Amino acid sequence: MHVNVQGTLRRDPWFLSGMTLSVFFLIITLLGPLLAPFSPWNMDFIPLSPPSLTHLLGVNDGGQDIFSELLYAIRNTMIFGMISASAALVIGVLLGASAGWFGGLVDLILMRLADVLLATPAIMILILVAALFRPSPHVLALILSGLMWPTISKTIRAQTLTLKQSLHVRAARQMGGGSGYIIIRHLIPEMFPLYLIGFAAKARMAMFMEVSLAFLGLLDPSRKSLGMMINYALQFYYMDIWWHWLFPPIVCLSLLIMMVTFLAISLEKVVDPRLKVSLPGRAL
Amino acid sequence: MAFTPSNFLNHDLGLVVTFVIAALIMTWLSYGLPRFLPGDFVTATYGASQVTLTSEQETELREYYGQDRGFGHYLSRVARLDWGYSYAFETPVSALFFSALPWTILLMGSAHLISMLIGFVAGVEAAWRRNSPFEKGMVGGMTVLEGIPEICTGVILLFVFALQLQWFPAAGAETAYAEKNALAHLADVGHHLALPLCTLVLAYFPGNFLLTRNSMIMVIMADYIKTARAKGLPPLRIRYVHAARNALLPVATRFGMRLAFMITGALVVEKINAYPGVGTLLYNAIQARDLPVIQAVVLMSSLIILTIFFALEFVYRFIDPRIRYAR
Repeated sequence: MHVNVQGTLRRDPWFLSGMTLSVFFLIITLLGPLLAPFSPWNMDFIPLSPPSLTHLLGVNDGGQDIFSELLYAIRNTMIFGMISASAALVIGVLLGASAGWFGGLVDLILMRLADVLLATPAIMILILVAALFRPSPHVLALILSGLMWPTISKTIRAQTLTLKQSLHVRAARQMGGGSGYIIIRHLIPEMFPLYLIGFAAKARMAMFMEVSLAFLGLLDPSRKSLGMMINYALQFYYMDIWWHWLFPPIVCLSLLIMMVTFLAISLEKVVDPRLKVSLPGRAL
Repeated sequence: MAFTPSNFLNHDLGLVVTFVIAALIMTWLSYGLPRFLPGDFVTATYGASQVTLTSEQETELREYYGQDRGFGHYLSRVARLDWGYSYAFETPVSALFFSALPWTILLMGSAHLISMLIGFVAGVEAAWRRNSPFEKGMVGGMTVLEGIPEICTGVILLFVFALQLQWFPAAGAETAYAEKNALAHLADVGHHLALPLCTLVLAYFPGNFLLTRNSMIMVIMADYIKTARAKGLPPLRIRYVHAARNALLPVATRFGMRLAFMITGALVVEKINAYPGVGTLLYNAIQARDLPVIQAVVLMSSLIILTIFFALEFVYRFIDPRIRYAR
């Protein structure tokens, strides 16, 4: 697992564009409330007015400023993706490393559980839970991560199995290192680039799910979300709202998904040397 | 590992057990979760919905749901297609579901079939012409397209082709009340299908293309392809008979992993194009807070997805006999 991550990535156009986008969206996520000219819940403006200097993207049917809504929506989608992906990563890494390290019954039970979860369609469970209990988005994000960890833990487990045989791990064991110590100090730091791939892939899935759930009307309607904005704007499709109300959230959503897709693809290439040949972006 | 009958049986059994457990979990969730709602099922279900019940209907519902005879009884009700009555749509839930299902199967089935065929052929051809401008352009374009979710393509296609150019209808699956002969009816259905189908194909195609290309490039470098070339076989035969078969497996296995994504996208695309499939039914049920319909749609779609997953496991073995002996 010793790869020159930085050198390879710096020359990869996909990685660079992914990073540029993520810097852009991180700024919006962190500073969104400060950048927004109005409160997105303020309903004082003339409904359905076209873009102007005060309202950059116009006003929606409820008299709310669309530009401010957009900033909050991006922030919410980003936060949902981050929470869900980080929780899935933590669960996946811990369970995968312990399954590979302990082997035997632990391995068997954890991997069977992973197989069952891989087969269950996560979106259906989310729809059911959201429709019945209407929980806060953070709870949904955590439920989603509880369903998404198996793919991460399978790769981590496979990598743990090879690392188990490496010299420094065996040396640590000889010197009397306990399982917890070896997993945390030797196994987990060793697999670093794998986490980035897992994180990017899961963030992509989570953001996509959040937007779809919001689009279907399953999330709190007062919480701003890209999916909900698209859904509301589509109800006025016969009016002249396409360019300032419908397309901005669509473009932002595409850029968000592109950001994580590009990052995942370029990182995968670095970690798996076989893929270096086959994945796009960099010739041999 | 050597092939032994018990080994073979073991793996098969494990597979069946995994899927049965997953199916039971889904069924139990749809049975058990509503029980955690505050109040009894009827108030919880219809309290927040747009449906107003008369007192007779309410007693009838109480009687229907009050006869809680445990999970076994629920299972038998599910199997008997007795999923309750929807007061929002004034129809039995099973009738609603089965009138929507064929449209979804038509849409999703043809989208997968088309995107797989084109994606596979394009991927094989691109891998064969590695480093040519065609290949580089395709890979770049497809990577960008992979980053555009169905919601976005769906809305853009709807804007361009249904509203601006008015080539295709913006909603529905067939022209209502039109009396036509069979052929004209078929053309009408195809005309309505075009937009949602294109959206889904555009969403699935890049993934199929990139996967095929990547796995094909690994296969082309193998020695047996060199042998085939040295023998002087025609390139078309090497590509499709020798190489493509081995490149197919990663494509098929990743298909299973991407299915959860695809289902979500299809629900959304149906709603955008107002296509009368399961996704639109689900959307309308959510809007009306009609829990029996949501429950049935969620449960039945999960069971159908599980069946597809299960069938895929056998497709893998058919594609690649090595899997049969590998575990």
